[in-house]
Amino acid sequence: MISRTSFPRAAQLALRQPAYPRLPLARGLATSSSSGSYELSDVGGVKVIARDSRGPTTKLAVVAKAGTRYEPLPGLSAGLEAFAFKTTQKRSGLRIVRESELLGGQLASNHTREALMIESSFLRTDLPYYVELLGEVISQTKYTTHEFNEEIREFLSTKQGVAASNPAALALDAAHSVAFHHGLGSPLNLTSSVPTQPYLNESSIAEFAGAAYAKPNITIVADGASQAEVSKWVEQFFKASPVSSSTSLGLNTSPSKYYGGESRVSHTAGNSVVIAFPGSSYGTPSPETAVLAALVGGKSSIKWSSGFSMLSRTVGGLPGLSVSTASVSYSDAGLFTVQLTGSALAVRKAAEETVKALKAVAEGKVSKEDLTKAIAKAKFDVLEASEGRNASMLLAGSSTLHTGKPIEIIDAIKPLESVTADKLKAAAQNLLKGKASVGTVGDLHVLPYAEELGLQV
Amino acid sequence: MTTVVAAEQLAQRIAEGIQRRPGLRSLFRPLTNWYGGATGHRQLGLRFDDLLEEEREDVAKALTRLPAKEAYDRIYRIRRAVQCSYQQKLLPRDQWTKPEEDVPYLSPLVEQIQAEMAEAKALDTLEVVKKH
Repeated sequence: MISRTSFPRAAQLALRQPAYPRLPLARGLATSSSSGSYELSDVGGVKVIARDSRGPTTKLAVVAKAGTRYEPLPGLSAGLEAFAFKTTQKRSGLRIVRESELLGGQLASNHTREALMIESSFLRTDLPYYVELLGEVISQTKYTTHEFNEEIREFLSTKQGVAASNPAALALDAAHSVAFHHGLGSPLNLTSSVPTQPYLNESSIAEFAGAAYAKPNITIVADGASQAEVSKWVEQFFKASPVSSSTSLGLNTSPSKYYGGESRVSHTAGNSVVIAFPGSSYGTPSPETAVLAALVGGKSSIKWSSGFSMLSRTVGGLPGLSVSTASVSYSDAGLFTVQLTGSALAVRKAAEETVKALKAVAEGKVSKEDLTKAIAKAKFDVLEASEGRNASMLLAGSSTLHTGKPIEIIDAIKPLESVTADKLKAAAQNLLKGKASVGTVGDLHVLPYAEELGLQV
Repeated sequence: MTTVVAAEQLAQRIAEGIQRRPGLRSLFRPLTNWYGGATGHRQLGLRFDDLLEEEREDVAKALTRLPAKEAYDRIYRIRRAVQCSYQQKLLPRDQWTKPEEDVPYLSPLVEQIQAEMAEAKALDTLEVVKKH
């Protein structure tokens, strides 16, 4: 029941903000959820994807092929990320930040192994301002020497220090590097042991930007704005970005190849082991891997309980241990990863249990209920990711960059339902037959070698 | 302090006014050349921009933005001039700064920093006018 005091307030709000005629407040509860799929269009050589959840806020991002796998020299992705929203030909970095503050918007940039995302969130009506801003950032940033020396260098060295004391991130990087060597294997986290001095400076970053922000290498993703409106402004404000990369420092586009192996690093800050196998990519999706990740699991989905997945049942009681199992997809390769972080003894025990669990799946010792549960969990994970703003924008942008169109969630869900116990068994056998990639960081006296675990490397 | 700044700004405006008018500029050219020579910095091998006070906030920051080579040359010129001053001597005539060498290498950076500071101040003291 609507209380007497709250109703006039809602009405007042609706009256006071005529700028947002489609506020959910006015639409009642029957709003379509934001899980709709992205619509694709090509605006003067730039791919634009948008979906409109008709909420009061919009998030707009430029997703560029500038993740660590594409960087020709170490550290350029992190450098380019740090240079986002710095001084452009038209206005200073300070002005960009202050203007955006006045509009109540948020600016951010981050990178993954494949994509660099320059993003902004703002009130719906401010769309033209932010489209102009992002267009300016990618095509007119000055990459000045003094900003690099005074701000970027310091920021990056702080970041390097943080990453260097995070064993979990280091282990994941180690596993990727033995799995793929170059490209996808180059470290996502710039650590203080990565020698960037000879490679990273404002002119190399500017050259990398010239290649990474060329029209074929970017996608503009909007959540909360109509396709037509975004396209209209993009047409106007993204004219200046180059049609093809004109700089000498091109992207490193060598295709991925799986190698496998083991990497062990001593570390005092903690212990982490990543056990990885080749997984599914955008091009060749393998639903078995996703279901296997849900089945092996390890992370509880219920509060105050250790969970009921295979790993949760065996190692869920170990104090301080965190387990996460994932099927990570990239454009032309993928990894099935089990990450174990915690005390050295717990991680050792968990690593042994992980291999046992995989062997049990390979021998077909999976109950029907477990399989049903795992399929449901895998479906939920995919659908939930497609609803959330950040994850869905990154996934849609990244898949548009690499395959030419945003991933259809329905297409990703359907194969999961067709996974049977036999298929899962075959997939697990296949994984254990091939070479694993194991990244171990921490107390090497206690942490096991892959060979001791019974893995081939 | 404020009077100094006001006088500087006035001088700046007059100088810009002269710069804009080619006729006036050529009229003042001999005068400026004479002034440049009369300040005496060229006889000590200095450039005019070497005379900017390092203690000023904007100049101090501009000095950090100088390329390494220019910063080194600047220190060299200043030390040479100080040495001359101690000895109550001028440099030999062939080592004097030539008028064409006396280029502004630091003042563009100082101006850039002044513009940055002015912008920061303007943004800090901005008044937001609500449209609705």
